[in-house]
Amino acid sequence: MSWIKVCKTTDVPENSLKKFWAAGGIPLIVARYADGYRAIPPVCPHMEEPLEESGVIAGCVLTCTKHLWAWNLATLEMQGETERALKTYEVKVEGDDVMAFVESELLYDFEEVDDMDDDDFFNS
Amino acid sequence: MSIILQTKSGEFRIDAEDDSETLLFAGLKAGLTLPYECATGSCGTCRARVMRGDVNDAWPEAPGTRQLKRHKGDVLMCQTRARGECLIRVPAVVDRKSENAPRRITGKIDQLNRLNRDVMDFVVALEDESAFAAGQFMVVNVPGLAGGRAYSMVNYEPQTDRLRFVVKRKPGGGFSEWLFGEDATGTKISLFGPLGKATFQPATDGDLIFITGGSGIAGIMSILEHAVRSGHFSASRGQLFFGVRTLEDAFYVQELAALAERSNGALSVTLALSHEAAPSNTHPTSDLIQLSGGFVHDVAARSLATTAQSVSDEAIGFVAGPPAMVDGAIRVLLGDGNLPPDRIRYDKFS
Repeated sequence: MSWIKVCKTTDVPENSLKKFWAAGGIPLIVARYADGYRAIPPVCPHMEEPLEESGVIAGCVLTCTKHLWAWNLATLEMQGETERALKTYEVKVEGDDVMAFVESELLYDFEEVDDMDDDDFFNS
Repeated sequence: MSIILQTKSGEFRIDAEDDSETLLFAGLKAGLTLPYECATGSCGTCRARVMRGDVNDAWPEAPGTRQLKRHKGDVLMCQTRARGECLIRVPAVVDRKSENAPRRITGKIDQLNRLNRDVMDFVVALEDESAFAAGQFMVVNVPGLAGGRAYSMVNYEPQTDRLRFVVKRKPGGGFSEWLFGEDATGTKISLFGPLGKATFQPATDGDLIFITGGSGIAGIMSILEHAVRSGHFSASRGQLFFGVRTLEDAFYVQELAALAERSNGALSVTLALSHEAAPSNTHPTSDLIQLSGGFVHDVAARSLATTAQSVSDEAIGFVAGPPAMVDGAIRVLLGDGNLPPDRIRYDKFS
């Protein structure tokens, strides 16, 4: 896959986010903050909370209201007690269109990654 | 009997004198900083894995078990008791601290007050004194009722042998039905605590914004008492938004008016009435209590939208109440209140 048109720039007002289905049925969220757009998987990497319901954008920071995990959308820095980075699709605006570069669906490993199985459990 | 906890910061051995405490409480009692939030089965934060040994799970269907990998031996430490020697893995960095570890205490229900048609408060007279931070809670066990309930302390004293709690009647809620049903005065109950991190830090906290509903006011009463008593409102301001259904459902109105008075005008108190229009701008019994119609987070949003710019950089938002209200309140604090997420405090009960 490649650059895919996800939505119109006017579909997502500033400081809000909206879920879309990209070509091939891949769910993603377009988050619009003051300086631009981010395209991200539709769930919080903490406990799979659906971000279209639990996500709030204020002052460039996306916060999941469930347990207050938060990321700066401009720098992608984790805020406060957040323990996992946000995955993002590359995004660009062409004319009125918000485009995302989607090769395959970005997923968080809620199943496989299990730090209690790790050999280096005591060192991590 | 000993329990070995393997953590990301090394191995700890706890010698549990009996098997009546859960893994979580046995560990906390030993001073270990184990991960937890609700301590009552709802949130899933105290997830751990039984590597060896026999355990008993008191509540296999607890809401907090949703994310557990049962086939790998995952349990909630707050619901699990060791039946003998066992080895447990805790996926967290854990320290051992010697001071102010939570512990089991017993006391007697001493004083029950009906506050309105479905809210009561009661005092537990403890067998010995206890210290806690304003905003903390205890897990309360009553003989004959399965499971513990988390209740925040209403009062605040640096050291006290009396704890006040508030309980809202819930149909089918074992503890509240019992409390409302019979005269429980004199009943011996068991408590574990103090627990919870949504506490007031007088040295570093600035302006205080509280959004709460129903019995969520409990821990906030304690914080307000501490704040007033420590002179916090001589340099900082406070805004409390307290949601109830109707004026008749409000409680602690006189106590809140007294706190507002002692704050010398620095603390504003607004009662938000969700199910009726406000009959006047202030409460019939005190002009220090403002009234406003609407859901508490909407009332707070309207007010914060006009004052957020003047809130101090060290402002802290406290949230307590039913899950839907907590969600709405967090949105308001982030948006209209302009608070970063790390300055919002609440105990995550879901």
